[in-house]
Amino acid sequence: MVSLLAAQLLNGLAIGMIYALTAFGLSIIKGLLNVPNFAHGAFYALGAYVCFAALQLGLPFALALLAAFLVPALAGAVVERLGVARLMRGPYLYQLLFLFGVALIMEQLILIIWGTSGLSATAPEWLQGAFDLGFTYLPKYLVFNGAMAAVTIAVVWLLIERTRLGSQIRAGIDKREMAQCLGINVAGLVTTGFALGAGLAGLSGGLVLPLLGANSTMGAEMLSIAFVVLVIGGLGSLYGALAAGVLVGLIQSVSAVFAPAASTVLIYVAMVATLMIRPQGLFGER
Amino acid sequence: MTSGRKIDRRTVLKAGAAALGSSLTGLSWAQTAGDTLTMGVLSQQTGTFAYAGDLVLKGTQLALEERQGSILGKKINLLVRDDEGKPAVGVRRLTEAVSSDKLKYFLGNFSSAVGLAELEVARQEQVLQYAAGGSEDFTGSRCSPYTFQWSAHAYTALRATLEYVSKTLPDKKKIYTITADYAFGQSLLHYTQVAAKELGLQLVGNDNHPSGERQFTQYFTKALSTRPDIICLLTAGADAVTAVRQFNSFGVKNVQIVGPWTLEVEQLRELSPAMRSGMILGLNYYQDIDTPVNKSFVERYLKAYKNVPSYAAAYGYDATRTLLLAMDKAKSVEVAAVMKALEGMQFDSIFGPTAIDARTHQTVRPYYVVQCKAPDAMKNEFDLATIVAQGDKPQPPELNECKRT
Repeated sequence: MVSLLAAQLLNGLAIGMIYALTAFGLSIIKGLLNVPNFAHGAFYALGAYVCFAALQLGLPFALALLAAFLVPALAGAVVERLGVARLMRGPYLYQLLFLFGVALIMEQLILIIWGTSGLSATAPEWLQGAFDLGFTYLPKYLVFNGAMAAVTIAVVWLLIERTRLGSQIRAGIDKREMAQCLGINVAGLVTTGFALGAGLAGLSGGLVLPLLGANSTMGAEMLSIAFVVLVIGGLGSLYGALAAGVLVGLIQSVSAVFAPAASTVLIYVAMVATLMIRPQGLFGER
Repeated sequence: MTSGRKIDRRTVLKAGAAALGSSLTGLSWAQTAGDTLTMGVLSQQTGTFAYAGDLVLKGTQLALEERQGSILGKKINLLVRDDEGKPAVGVRRLTEAVSSDKLKYFLGNFSSAVGLAELEVARQEQVLQYAAGGSEDFTGSRCSPYTFQWSAHAYTALRATLEYVSKTLPDKKKIYTITADYAFGQSLLHYTQVAAKELGLQLVGNDNHPSGERQFTQYFTKALSTRPDIICLLTAGADAVTAVRQFNSFGVKNVQIVGPWTLEVEQLRELSPAMRSGMILGLNYYQDIDTPVNKSFVERYLKAYKNVPSYAAAYGYDATRTLLLAMDKAKSVEVAAVMKALEGMQFDSIFGPTAIDARTHQTVRPYYVVQCKAPDAMKNEFDLATIVAQGDKPQPPELNECKRT
């Protein structure tokens, strides 16, 4: 029993890191724009498909992952510049609807380009197979996935906390007008932040490709989990998403021991419980 | 929706079906005047499983083409209705088609949930349904004089698959099951237990997963901790595809993956060849079935659609063909007479010699066990697997819940 729990904790940690990475991107965009990015799932799906296409072209996995970050980031920058930025002065609903429309357009474009049936890619050879820990098997790729997500999160953390650009982004999130008064190019910052968030979603999509494949519904599926993570972590908190992502992964994995059929519903129960007990989220400020 | 718009949509669909039909045969089956018989395909034309609806239709069209679109001197008018994969929509479309288009026979549905809802309408309206899908209720607790079932019985499927496993892998006895937590999965689990007992296999554990699950590693970690010889996936669709992908990431070679009713050919194609290679699957239909009827069907299908037929297309073709054969036998297109002709009918289908159980209306036909090919063994892109066994053991009568006599 103990070993089974330990196995599920490891598994949950690895899954949770991916949720954290996706939700982190969502959190950055939410912070900068104060709009939930409804197109986040579409950027995630785009990342998976781009990664697939890059692997098809024979690129090494590392470059495919890089493409999975860059292409959605670029798409994110375009979407922000051409649409979101122009709607900045209008009511908040316009941006929301715009992003919703973008998500639908991107999903359909993906279907037109890559077709309706799902696609699969295998992990590079050195990441195939599993670690035999005696009490359990842990797929190498799952470990790699969690580690990559953790490293990415650490890099983005350094970027935000330790660089000039990062401090400007934080200023933009906290006190938008004040930052503008100080001569910070907030518009450029928002574009950068949006691109970064979209890129992180794309990278998660690329990372999960060998585990989940690429298919037409993956964006919507991830979007709902990312929002749950965001709500549990706290809508105003940049880093709440990280802890909450891991928490959701753990809930999903450990529930397989006690109540496997309830693994999905438990995630939503956790969200509802958070909203009732601590509506600002675990790390949010009221 | 106004009634005017309804007529519009229907006309468009009819025209669409007619156009499709005539493009195939150079004939039009659209109703003009006089002596016609209306048959229908109710299936998903939109939504996630739209591919299946389209394939059922393609199969049906081939069967009608064989008869130049007529039976016993009557022109066949083929209706196509989109149920969107939803029971409520299926019921509505069927009721409309019966009342305004005089529908007498229909194929519906590729999805059991929709098909079972339509079963009640068929009974009420006295029209004949040739259903497919994984639910045993069609020929069990909800059996009806007006409904016939094309897909194999879950017992037949499990028995055939596990029998092959126990014969070819005699030292693999411990099975762990991962089951979809809805009627279909639970029915498969029930018959896994029945068949495992008959064959002396040991079930070491089971986990139910919610429908739409995208994370399976936790089930596999748990399953592998019991050191099973076989993991049996009693799930289907996208869930099954994801499960196989993630099992693949474990790289565990000494555990055999068995899917008794898990992946159709369309889903197999979503997996990379390395992921599916070696998997043992049970299938309602595979293109390589070696019978005269099937060979000619595959050949014509390939010519018409540049693809090989799969479960959904074979259902469309074979069920329609069977209905037409029954009309021949009855020398009538009246539902009551055709129903009677179908009961106990023995005929040559794509499966070879086939019979229809007079009481339950189960099509007594074989179920196929295939093993997926390694990438370098594939002759072409369609060549995904080899048929390694087939079994047609019917459900033991004491387990059947049909109250008809």
